[in-house]
Parts: sequence; structure tokens; C-alpha cells
Amino acid sequence: MSAPAVMLKGCVHAYRYTLRGVIGANCRFYPSCSDYALEALSAHGAARGSLMSAKRILRCNPWHPGGYDPVPPPTPPKG
Amino acid sequence: MDQKRLFAAIALSIGILLIFDVWNRTNTPPTPPRPQQQQAQTTTPAVPAPSAGTPAPATGAPGDQAAAPATPRPPAARVAIENPRVAGSINLRGARIDDLVLTTYRETLAPNSPQVRLLDRRDSLNPYFAQWGWTAADGRTRVPDNETDWTATGGPLAPGRPVTLTWDNGQGQVFEIVLSLDAEYMVTAEQRVRNDGSEPVSLLPWARVRREHTPQTAGFYILHEGFTGVLGGRLREVTYSDAKSEGARRGGIAMEQETTGGWAGFTDKYWLAAIMPAAPDQTLRTAYRHANDGGGAAGDRWQVDMALPAPVSLAPGASTQMATRLFAGAKEVHLLDSYMNRLNITDFDKAIDFGWFYFLVKPFFLALDWIFRLTGNFGVAILIFTVLIKAAFFPLANKAYHSMARMKALAPKMTEIKERYKDDPQKAQSEMMALYRTEKVNPASGCLPILIQIPVFFALYKALFVTIEMRHQPFFGWIHDLSAPDPTNLFNLFGLLPFQPEQWSHFLHMPAWAVIMGITMFVQQKLNPPPPDPIQAKIFQWMPIIFTFMLASMPSGLIIYWAWNNTLSIGQQYYIMRHDRAAAKAAKATGKAK
Repeated sequence: MSAPAVMLKGCVHAYRYTLRGVIGANCRFYPSCSDYALEALSAHGAARGSLMSAKRILRCNPWHPGGYDPVPPPTPPKG
Repeated sequence: MDQKRLFAAIALSIGILLIFDVWNRTNTPPTPPRPQQQQAQTTTPAVPAPSAGTPAPATGAPGDQAAAPATPRPPAARVAIENPRVAGSINLRGARIDDLVLTTYRETLAPNSPQVRLLDRRDSLNPYFAQWGWTAADGRTRVPDNETDWTATGGPLAPGRPVTLTWDNGQGQVFEIVLSLDAEYMVTAEQRVRNDGSEPVSLLPWARVRREHTPQTAGFYILHEGFTGVLGGRLREVTYSDAKSEGARRGGIAMEQETTGGWAGFTDKYWLAAIMPAAPDQTLRTAYRHANDGGGAAGDRWQVDMALPAPVSLAPGASTQMATRLFAGAKEVHLLDSYMNRLNITDFDKAIDFGWFYFLVKPFFLALDWIFRLTGNFGVAILIFTVLIKAAFFPLANKAYHSMARMKALAPKMTEIKERYKDDPQKAQSEMMALYRTEKVNPASGCLPILIQIPVFFALYKALFVTIEMRHQPFFGWIHDLSAPDPTNLFNLFGLLPFQPEQWSHFLHMPAWAVIMGITMFVQQKLNPPPPDPIQAKIFQWMPIIFTFMLASMPSGLIIYWAWNNTLSIGQQYYIMRHDRAAAKAAKATGKAK
């Protein structure tokens, strides 16, 4: 895993242990947005992982049905 | 799993470090006065502070090249400055404004408290002044320096009554500085030179604000203090320590830029001293500088200067002029806005550290201030405005709390599923989804609605933090200044015991409002479903206590806001939960009736 990805994962963990306690957990999905972000960062790296997490958070609103939404597996490199 | 633990450990350490730092910063004791330096200065009154190191290059940065005079001289003559908002004087030796008091602000709440002093003389404890001058680009023209005694015509300096300072260098060049003052905090300075000599001369006019003492900063992450300015349309904020390290790499220049219009100076939490070209289309070169006069940190000198981009060549008989302004006063939002619009000063309101969320923070402040004018109490304005914001978010929050209440009702079933399929997480997931489907509920409103609210509440918090309008504003009971920490302390039973525990450690300051806030936070948390992870759940139990201690010495206005915001959330959530329960009962009753 790249250094930025590790740092971003650190941020997600920090969020889970601090801010989440204040604002409460409100995710409509399984796995939750923060779990999703951790997994996406591990599997897809910092850039793609961040983008996927951001999209997931945008999906996570009252007008989306929510439910089971796992991180898509990385496509194997071509060739 | 190991990795997870490692990250948890990292996150925890970061959290602890942050908490400690905030704590430390908010509680740094004020620097003790520096008696040695003062002594040194009083024994040699006429000797100016040593020069700012290397002599300025020919093209000229304003520096301090004044030579110490051999004999003591009479005290400098002064011209008074007066308008409804400031009082002070111009120092005719060196053409400086080094004595300025903001007459409408007092240091503390005490009725006989001294008025806030912004600019002060070089031999004081906090030397801070504005000065206008010239550098001889040809290296031979005699220019005025720190020891030059100017002749004043007119005065005192007041609105509509400019003062002209004149000095003839005896070699044919006559220097003039015309100072004028408005009814608030703006001084306009017009620097003129007339060459009556027979040779051409080359001069570089400049204006500067110089601070020969590092001020005690409040040291909050969310508040900038130090160099600030809008140059080339961009906000350029540099802290004292950054200016020092950057200056060390680049010969004392922390930042240098040639721009048209704009402004630059020093900002404190509430006060600003900044210079700017008088005409918005004038191009000047601005520099942020640091120099050290020896004696460690006490010798740090800070300077913002503006000069013409290139020296002016003056043929015999010709004259030249440069006009700049000096703002020295309080950063009142409406006042800065009015200067920005009247005088075309680019983004002058950014002198107030509204930060990244400027587009939210400033309108919030304007709304708060409007309510304040209606109600007459800033604390009440905070309460009302928070209710309005909460009301705006109510539909979202309503949905969120609805589902949260239902999720709480589902929690036993969910744990049951988790227990049953402990060894098969996949199966547990699908069962959980099935449960949601049969209950026709998605357990949450989603992360997005909650995340959107964070910047909004942060913006409100920031608006309260940075604006001077909350300073010295009372609330009910024992709060006489919303911008200062709550003075009460739980550890001496709110004054029943005759000692002040906070004098030993700031951990021992636990004001009444902080306790109230802690309780509201605790209650609010109890209404939320606990996190599934047991370690997180444990940590969450400590959060209200950690937060209470962390925020204890914050300005009381912020703590009151926080406590009130929590109380509103609790009320809202409690209302919805009751409503839900009643609805569920009613549904059951009708079901049985069938």
C-alpha cells in the first residue's frame, strides 16, 4: 500500500475514534461508509480509493435505498 | 487484524497529540515581561535599536540604517492625533506613528481598564509603529532616517485637518509627508520630494509597519495571527515562526511580491495594522521581513513594507509623490466592508480570519450581528441563530433521528442475528438486509446529510470565534464576556473555597458552562445507538469527558453555543422517539382490532 493510502486510512481511523462518537453512526449501507473507505483505499489505492469513497458518501443519503454495497474488486491489470 | 490494531493505535496517538496540543496552546501562560531589555533601553534612551542586519541594497528595501548619534538629544517633538475612535501622536523624529490608542476599546471589562494600545514607541515593551521614508538609490543623496527631526505644519491630526511634515536635507532636496486621518482608523500618507538641487537624484519611497516584539498569540489552530495581506488577489498569511524560518533561508525576506492594489500588515486576533497603496491601480512591491537584533527571541523584528517597484529618478526641478494608506484599528466587519467598498481595497474583509468557509462564515456573522442589534444581547443572538440553523436542518435531522430511533428498536434482533451467525459474516449480512426489508426501514438517513452539517456548524463556531463583535459582550448570570473563558470553577466549588486551582494547572479549570456542555453531550450520546465495536463503544463513553476538559477554557460564547446546540438536538431526538413510540403503539392497537 502506498504512503498516501496509509495516511488516508489513518485519517479514517481517526475519524472513527473521534468525530463518529460525537455525530453518531448514520450509514445506510453495509459495509458502512468508513469500512468501505478503508477497504477501497487498501484495494484500489489512494486516488481511486478516495474517489470511490467520496461517491459512496454521496450515495449515502435518504433518497438512496441503501443496503448491501461492497467494494468492487480491483480489475486485474491488462496484459 | 494486526493491521487494524496498528491503525487504531496510530489514530489514538494522533488524537492524543492533537488534544494535548490544543490544550497546551489554549493554556500557554502569557510571556513574562522582559525586565532586562527594558532596563537596557531606559539606560540608553537616545540610542535606537540596532540596525536590521545587512544594509539595504541600492534598489532598496527599507531597513534601519540610522547611525547612533554621539550625544543625547532632547526628546522628540510630537503632533497629537485625535478622532472619535483613536488618540495618539505622530513622532516627528523619524516620521512615525508610534503612539495610538483605540479609545472605544478597553483592555478588560473593568470600568477603569486602560484603553487598547495598538501602536507603541520603540523604547516601550511592545514597539509597534508605522513609518514613511525614502531610500537613496544613488547611494549619495541624504535621506531622512530614524533620527531626522521633521517640521510639522498644522495639527493636531484630525478628520479634515491634515498635517504636513517637512524636511530639507540641505543639499537641495525637500521631503514632505502629508498625513490625513478619517473619522475611524484610516490614515492617508502622501510622500513628496522636490529636487531643487542641480544634480539628478534617485530615490525609492517606502511605507512600513514594523513590530519589534513578538506578540503573545492566542495560538489556536483555527485562528491566524501574524503577517497577513491580500496581494495579487490572493490572501497571504504567514505566521511569525514561518516568517522566521522562511526569512532565514532568503536573507530576511519571508515573502516578496509586486502587486497592483491589495494591502498587507500584521493581524492580531482583533486588531490590524496594515498598509496599502492609496490608489487601487497603483503597483507597489510588498515584502514581509524578519530580522534579529540579537538577544535571542527578544531581538526578533518583524516588518511589512511597500515601496515603488523601482527607484524614481528626479531631474533638477522635478518632483515625485507616492500615496499610501495605513489602517490601524479594530477589525470590525462592517467597517472593513465599508473601507473595502469605498476605497476599493481588494478583499479587505479577509483581514478577519474567516478561513476556508468564508462563504458561510461571513453571512453567518452578518445574520448573528443583525439579531444582536435586534435583541441587544450577543448571547441571545447566538441562541436564536442556532435555533434557526437547527430548524433549517430539521427535515434532514428528523429523518435521521426517525431511523435512529427505529434502529434502536431493532438492535436486539440485530445482535441476535450477529450472535447466531458469528462464524459466517456473509450470512449475517444477508440476514440483516432481510431484517431491514421486512421492517421496511433503512436504519439510517445516511452519512451525507450528517456530513453536510459539519461545515455549517463549524462555520458558526468560527464566526463566533474570530469576530470582535462578541468581545466584552455579556450573557446572563456570571458570564460578562462571551469571548473569554467562563471564570467559574468546579474545583473550588464555584468560588466557595478560597483558592484558584487553575493557577497550578489548567487541567484544574472546569467552568460551570463546560460542565453543562459535558452533560448535554453525554445525554445526546445516550440517545444514539452505541457503535457495534466494543473498543469504540468504550472510547465513546469517555468522549464527553475528554471534550469537556478540552473545551473548558474556550471562550464561553462557544461553550454556550455548543451546550445549546446539544440541548436542541436532544429535544429534537426525544420528541421524535416519543412520536415514533406512540405511532408504533397506535399501529399495534389497530392491528389487534382487526
